[in-house]
Amino acid sequence: MTIWREVKIMYDFLLGHYSYWLTIILLCIGLYGIIFKKNLVKKTIGLTILQASVVLYWVSLGSKWGATVPVLDPAYPASDVANYLNPLPHTLMLTAIVVGVATLGVAFALLIATYNRYKTLDEDEILEQIQ
Amino acid sequence: MVAFAGLLIYGSLDLPYRGDADNLMHSQRSITDTVVAGNYFIQEAYNDANTPNMVTVVLGDYRSIDTLGEQVVVFTAGLICLLILRRYRPI
Repeated sequence: MTIWREVKIMYDFLLGHYSYWLTIILLCIGLYGIIFKKNLVKKTIGLTILQASVVLYWVSLGSKWGATVPVLDPAYPASDVANYLNPLPHTLMLTAIVVGVATLGVAFALLIATYNRYKTLDEDEILEQIQ
Repeated sequence: MVAFAGLLIYGSLDLPYRGDADNLMHSQRSITDTVVAGNYFIQEAYNDANTPNMVTVVLGDYRSIDTLGEQVVVFTAGLICLLILRRYRPI
């Protein structure tokens, strides 16, 4: 019987942490794209993936089992906070998404300007032309 | 990169369980400085702003200055896009 208790504990631990691990893997994919890819568009895609991973991480931190979305429903009294998700991570991530999209637009504008100037988006070729 | 991922996963082992309503993040301090289950945004949002959507209340009322700064960021980004693309566009 004790081995089943150990298995139950490990299962609970896995269920409580797998979303963190998935977002960490997503973050590493984005970071890999930013650091090692030579194409500037692919670097931008990596930046977007990294941002999405951070957003998912915060939203998964704010979740509760058995809770509903933070919109007041008369069927669930607001005095019991276990009925509603934590609204603060949602708000912060709403801001982060908007700012991320704005910076993405600036990045694409810079990419268009770079392409008009050098006729390529490859990092090495741009460095060659600069030298 | 794999080592970095391993380091982050090792760090995440100490995080609270996802969805656990009892962890400290979902609590607050009472008047007598003890940790109780409660969240000001959930409990008082409707009384303060008369809006059912708590996210809207936090975004538009409690953190309205923050949202104003966000709008400034968006406006600046649009301005930068306009300036960059105007200079290099052939007429």
